[in-house]
Order: sequence, then structure tokens, then C-alpha cells
Amino acid sequence: MSIDRRIIASFDWPLLLLVLTICALGLINLYSAGHSLKLVTQEPYYIKQLKWIAIGIFFMVISFSLDYRTITRHAYLIYVVSIIMLLLVLVFGKTAQGAQRWLSFAGFSFQPSELVKLVLILVLARYFEDRRIDDKLHLSDLAVPFLLMGLPFALILKQPDLGTALILGAIFFLIVFFVGVKWRSLLLGSGALILLTPLSWYLLRDYQKERLLTFLNPERDPLGAGYHTIQSIIAIGSGKLTGKGFLAGSQTQLKFLPEQQTDFVFSVLAEEWGFAGAMLVIILLFVLVTMGLKIASGARDASGAIIAFGVTVFIALGVFVNIGMVLGILPVVGVPLPFLSYGGSSILVLMVGVGLLLNVSGRRFLLYG
Amino acid sequence: MSDSDKLKITNPSLLRRKINYAVIIIFLSFTLLVVRLAYLQLYKGNELGLRSETNSIRLRKITSPRGLIMDNSGRIIAENIPSFHAYYVPNRTRSYQQIKDDFVRIYRERSLEIPREILKTSLAPPFVTQRLDSLLSRHKLAVIETNSHLLPGVFIDVVPVRRYPYGETIAHVIGYVGEISREELTSDISGHYSSGDFLGKFGLEKELEDFLRGQSGAEQAEVNAVGREVRVLEKLEPIVGYNVVLTIDMSLQQAVSGAMNGKAGAVVVMDPRNGDILAMVSSPSFDPNLFSQGISTQDWRKLASDPLHPLKNRAISGQYPPASTYKVILAAAALEEGLLTPDTVYNCNGEYEIGNRKFRCWRSDGHGRVNMHRAIVESCDVYFYNLGKLIGVDMMAQYAQYFGLGQKTGIGLPQERKGLIPTKNWKKDRFKAPWHLGETISISIGQGYNLTTPLQLANLYAALANDGKLYRPRIVKKILHTDGRAYREYQPELLSQIPISAKTIRVINQALWGVVNEQGGTAAAARRHEKDLSGKTGTAQVVGIPRTGETLKYHASGRRLKDHAIFVGFAPADRPEILVSVLIEHAGAGGGAVAAPIAKKIVDAYFSMNQKNKQPSRELTAKAGNR
Repeated sequence: MSIDRRIIASFDWPLLLLVLTICALGLINLYSAGHSLKLVTQEPYYIKQLKWIAIGIFFMVISFSLDYRTITRHAYLIYVVSIIMLLLVLVFGKTAQGAQRWLSFAGFSFQPSELVKLVLILVLARYFEDRRIDDKLHLSDLAVPFLLMGLPFALILKQPDLGTALILGAIFFLIVFFVGVKWRSLLLGSGALILLTPLSWYLLRDYQKERLLTFLNPERDPLGAGYHTIQSIIAIGSGKLTGKGFLAGSQTQLKFLPEQQTDFVFSVLAEEWGFAGAMLVIILLFVLVTMGLKIASGARDASGAIIAFGVTVFIALGVFVNIGMVLGILPVVGVPLPFLSYGGSSILVLMVGVGLLLNVSGRRFLLYG
Repeated sequence: MSDSDKLKITNPSLLRRKINYAVIIIFLSFTLLVVRLAYLQLYKGNELGLRSETNSIRLRKITSPRGLIMDNSGRIIAENIPSFHAYYVPNRTRSYQQIKDDFVRIYRERSLEIPREILKTSLAPPFVTQRLDSLLSRHKLAVIETNSHLLPGVFIDVVPVRRYPYGETIAHVIGYVGEISREELTSDISGHYSSGDFLGKFGLEKELEDFLRGQSGAEQAEVNAVGREVRVLEKLEPIVGYNVVLTIDMSLQQAVSGAMNGKAGAVVVMDPRNGDILAMVSSPSFDPNLFSQGISTQDWRKLASDPLHPLKNRAISGQYPPASTYKVILAAAALEEGLLTPDTVYNCNGEYEIGNRKFRCWRSDGHGRVNMHRAIVESCDVYFYNLGKLIGVDMMAQYAQYFGLGQKTGIGLPQERKGLIPTKNWKKDRFKAPWHLGETISISIGQGYNLTTPLQLANLYAALANDGKLYRPRIVKKILHTDGRAYREYQPELLSQIPISAKTIRVINQALWGVVNEQGGTAAAARRHEKDLSGKTGTAQVVGIPRTGETLKYHASGRRLKDHAIFVGFAPADRPEILVSVLIEHAGAGGGAVAAPIAKKIVDAYFSMNQKNKQPSRELTAKAGNR
């Protein structure tokens, strides 16, 4: 595999630099989040995260080097593999906190549901690649993509992982929007879904119902999910403008703050670095998102545009849902904050996603051969 | 249409417009986050800052008490008692160092023992709750409480700890609890445990962990600046574990323990009618209470390095040659396969020659001409050498398996061993060598490769006592809700009806009666005046009887070389309701001399207790047993 000189010449250094900066801030924050967790046997989270980032960069190089059109050509195969992995999770998966999400082999645990988000983007890019971006899709055009999304959606809901399933659905709708859809089809489609929503209540596990109800009324469960939200709000608010200082957040260090290295990592940041620190990270993430969208608009073809758009909204959704959740304006559904939350699967998938963005960006000037 | 046409974006300006919409939408939603962030940090910042600083909400875990374990008449074998521990909660008025100094000073003034852990930790990490002293005595408790104004941030936590009122008497069956290990903690993906929790590590405590455990509760309390609880906001009560009722009869268990009188070995007492375990003792034993609060390294080293292995439950994990108790297997096989009749006679002159090897009978001057009845009664080895040669190793193994030997009984206790019943194939797999006739002769009297556990022998004889019905030994009778309702009941489980005729069983049982009650029987020491015992003795050689005619004197040279004494028997002979399997390690004398008298004592105790039981109510006896 030889890489065209033009790809190197038009390599998107600012994007890579921005991602690495955000990762570095995330590591510093994880150092603090894991500071008071005295698990002698375990490696600190920031070290583990660093290793995952290193592995992630390796996969990023791969997902950058292969022409994304080569990747989309194999999208259906990748899709089938990832569905098989989801099925394996349901059969052999490791259970944690009432949900079966992890596949482990050779000492590594992996969440296929994270990977599926990316695979959905690829498979939709493949499906829509012979469409034009200004196509007005009919409802009948949406049947196949809907099924492509619906199958993993149902499998992930069964694990059960409500947050990931909803994000998958959101990615699907945003990509369909992006490709273009008739207003009539849109109204009909959403109408049908709204009618189906009450049915999904029966698919939810008790703890998920509990979480939804608790979101609507946090006082319902002050010991459980409500406790998480209350402590998170106290942590964030008490950070004020400039924060309590590194390693000095009492909510974090006294362990009032739950899940502080994963779902609630932003609360640690906001407590210790204040509004200023939190804003810096939000702005950096927003810049990243606009860069991703710019890559989408400059893509040389439809599949490239869809990939870049999909990866970008995947990141943006993660940021919005996670921060909304720790700020108490969205339910606690367990969605990690991209690049900042601890989690191997999440980091790996994000790095592959960044690789795809660099891929589309780097090949924007190539002519078709 | 060529490939390049198909992939082209036809309307770049529309694409750019859509991207602009996306940027705007994402900008607006991020702005929403920023507005909320500003509201919390800038507008509500002071208020929330105060909440994080002064009055804080603290979550405290409440350990659930484990379920009780009771014997078949409700006597408590495992219970919980409260223990008190002193903790320091980080707070803003006094640092750990200051509190530690005050704490030590107050202890010194009253010349109380200063806990070692507190002296070891010179520097506590900030914000981490620190244990100051554990398992406080009443006196210490009072001292801390009266000085609480000097010790801001110090609080007392009450934790239930396991107590075993019968201690060593039933240690191996009940087992013990211990603090969760790092490995157990990391493998616990179900999230039942957190560090510092205790869980069953051995015996029924381990086997029934899921039932006994219960579920921890939690308390959410508002604490003030000195770490004192101001008020309880929410409380999730812990759920107590299920109670367990065993088939064990504690007064019999105590009688068995007494009868063994400290000798190393094991006794299993069973109701042959249904497989219920009435008593199970392994000796030497240990005090399970040592583990309840975390065993000290010193105590642990002492137990673990003891050459007599007090932690091993010999009744299920000890594997010994069954010796002469195995002869009933040969008798059953020979009669069932029609190889001989009960009246077939062999001559015993004290030894048996095969090839150029001589196998000795335990009685060197021989038993003379013996039929099957006499051969069992007097335990003639030469008779069974002849039988073994007739039956062959594989057929013998088949009958042994009918009676449950060579396999786990499935009693439901950890670390049960399955023993060993050799076959030709087994030897080929294991040693890559063919089977020799001489080995058949050795296993004919339960020596050689044969290994059984005392529980397996109990099960074997229970099947004889019960018309060939083989039950799975049952030790857990019921699992109860705390209010006494049954949650789960375990019925006696019939494993199989052994394919042996009633006639064969009758011949064998008559001989077993003779072993105890006839002239020349090897277990005359177990003879009773009424409700006769039937049974079989065994003397398991730790080293083989020397082939040449020399004396056995080197057997007596050390404990390790002395024979094991075995007796398995049941009573009353006509309608058996109790079965006893006794094994005494390295007894230095035969089963008839050492094991049979112990069995008799146990059976005596059983019938005298039953006598008493019939008159007063059960509760009264229960109280008497507790005293």
C-alpha cells in the first residue's frame, strides 16, 4: 500500500493536533478523577487510558491509510461481522451492573455496541453512495437503511443499553436528513415511530424505566440515579468561575461524585477548573465538530461526505448527551464524553473515526481513477 | 453510467447549505449547555459551593447480617453478633494527624491497648475515611463515646460478625467466612460485594453463599462540618440473608465429637432411610470463630502448617483405602453374577499363593474352611482373594460404582473428593501399563489403588441397610425466609435402585449382623443388648503387609505408618434408622478394636437421646442441648 504524496501534502494537521490536545486534557482530568480511588491492585485510570489512546492511534493510522472508498466497498461485510459480535455479546457477554455489554477475549474487554455506531455510518455511506446529496428520498427508499439500523438497535436495546441505542437512532436520522428526504416521508416516518414508542417501554428493563422516571423527578430516587445527578450538580456548581484547583475538588476527592472517571468525568473538570476550564473544553470540542463538518462539505464524493458528517454528528451527540446528562438537563443514560471519559472501546472507536475524518480530508483533491 | 458519475456531488452549494444548518444546530445545542453551565457555576455557584463545603451528604453502606444456620430442631449453629469499629471521617476542623494524636492520648490515659494499625499509618491521604480501631470492647466504646467532643469526625460503625456457638464441633460442615480477596473482588462483575465485605470461604458458608448473603443497605445522611450525622435523609434497609435448616442433629454431633475424643479421623452419621446426614465430624478441628473478624497471620500460619491438616474435612475430602469394608462389594458381585453360592467354601491356611507371590490373611494361622457368612464375619482375606480372582477387576469396579464409589456423592459441600475405583483402562491411561492379577488380589480386600471417603462408605452401607436404595446424602433440609416461611425445601433424592436382588442383600446383611453379634465376629466390641448393630470392620494398611513372613513390628515405628481403623455399621439390624461410618487415622489397631467401640458409643447416644425425645417436647430438649 503506497500513499499518494498529495494525501500527505493535504494532511489535516490541525485536526490531529486538536484531537491530541483534547485527549491530553482528558488524561490530566482522569489523573484527578482516579486520585482518591485507592485501588492498589489496579493501574491508575489515566495510565490505562494512555495505553488505549496509543492503541487507538495505531488503528487511526490504519483507518486513515486505506482509501475510504475501499472501506465502504466492504461496509456490508464489516456490518455482518459487527452484528455477529453483538449476538455474541448477548450469548457470552460479560455482565456488569445489570447489563450485558462486554465481549472479552485474551484479557481485553470490548463493547461491540460502541463499534456499531461507526459501522452504521459506513454502511449508510455505502448504501447512499450512488445517491446524490440533494436526493429527495421516499419512504420506500428508507426501508433498507431503516432495517440496517433497526437490527443493531434492537440488539443493543436488549443488552440493555438505552443510551447507545438512542444515539444509534439519532445518527441514522441525521444522516437521512443529510442525504435529503421528502417532507411527507419524514412526517409519515416520525408519526409511525411516535406510535411505536409506548411499545418500547416494555422492552426496557426495570432499572432503565427507573432512570427515566428519576430524570422526570430526581427526588424519586435520591440514593440511586437521582443521587448521581444531585452530586454532579453540586460538584459543577461549586466550581464557580475558576474552579477549586487541580486535585482539590472536594466532591470528586471525597467520592461524593459517582462514576467520576467515566460518565461524570465532566463534573470533575467543572469542579476543579471552574467555568473557565469547562468552557475551554466545550469550545475545543465545538471547533473539532466544525472542522469535521467542513471536511464533510469539502468531500470529493457522497460517501466521503456521509462518512465525515456521520462521524462528526456521532462526536457531537456524545458531547451533547453526556454534558447534558451531568448538567441535569438530560436523563442519566450512560453515554461517555468523547475523548475525555475513561473507556477503551470508546477511545478506540473515536480514534478510528478521527482516522476516517483525516482520510476524507486528505483525499479531497484526488481525482477518480 | 460510469463509476465517477455516480459518486459525484451534483449540487455543492446545497451540500454547503446543509452543512451550515448543521453547524448552526450544533452551535445552538452547545450554547444550551453553556447557558446551563453558566447558570450552575456563575449564578448558583455560591449556593452550591456552600452545599459542597458545609453540610454534605454522605453515603454509608450498611452490611447485611448473614442468614442463620440451624440444626434439625432449630438450634442455632451460625449467628451474628454486633461488632463496633471506630472510623475517622475527613472533616474541616481537625486533620487526621491531630485526631490520631488525641485518640492515642485518650487511650493512653486509660491505659487501653493502642491498635497497631493506627501506629503504622503515619500519614493518611486527605479525604479518605480511615479506620482507627476495630472490634472495640465495651470499655473502649464507652471511652470513645464520652470523649466524642474531643474527637470531631470520629464515628462508631456497627457491623455484624459471624459467631459459631458450637465452635470446633461442627467447623468443617459449616465452614467459615473471610474478607473478600482482591481476586474475588475483581472477578465480581455482578457487583454483590465491595472491598472489606465478608463472604463464605469454606463449608456450607461457601456453598450457600448466595442464600446466606442477603443484600447490603445504604444510608444517606447529612453530616456537619465535624463529620457528625445531622439527620438521616434516606435509608435503604439491608436485607437479611435466608436462614438455613440442616439435617444435622447438634446433640448427636456433640456426642460424636465426644466419642472421637480427639483422635484424628472422621465420622459420618446418616439416616439410611433417606440419606439425611445427622452428624459429620472431622478431627482435628479448628475454631471457625477465628476467621469471623479476619484471621491473624499467626493463627493462619498455625492452622495451615499443622501436619494434621485441621482445615481438611476428612469425611468428604479424606481418601483412604476402604480395606475390609470393601468386601461386601465382592460378595454382592459374586452372588449376583452367579459365580458361587453363599455355601461355597474356601480353605484359608493363612496365605494365598499366586504365581510366585504370597498374599497373607490378617490371621496368620488361617481361618480354615469358610463360607461367605463366616468369611464376612471373621473378615477372612483368603476367601476374598479367591472371590476377587473369580470376579476380576472390571466387574468389581462395576459393582463398586453401583454403590456410588469412585464418584462424588454430590452432598453439596465444597472440596468433596471422588475417591478411586481402579479398572484395567484406568491403569492403562494412568500408568501406560497392563493390569496384573496380583493387583486384583490387593483390591479384593480394599487395598491397592482403592480409595474411598468416609461419606462414600456411609452411602454404600446405607444402600445395604435400605434394600438397595441409594440416596444422595442430604445436609440442607430447608431454606427459610426470615419470617420462617419456607423459601426452598430439599427432598431426599433417590439416586438409584441398585440392581441387586433382595436375597443377596439379605445374605450380606445377615453376615454384617454376625460381624458384631456372633462368636468370632471382628466387631464384638460394638455389641449392644438391644437394637443390635450390624456392620463391617476394616483395617486400612498404610504400607502393605510384608510379603515375607516377618513380623509387623515396623508398622508401629511411627504414626505415619500405622493402620487406619474403619467401622461402618447400622442399627437396629432389622429396621435400620441410624448408620455410622467411622474412620480413625493411624489408629495403630484394627477397626474392631478402635473404630467399632466409637460407633457403638454414637449409636448408644442416639438411642438414649431418642428415648428422651419421645417424652418432653422438642423445644425443651433444644434448650437442654444449648446449655
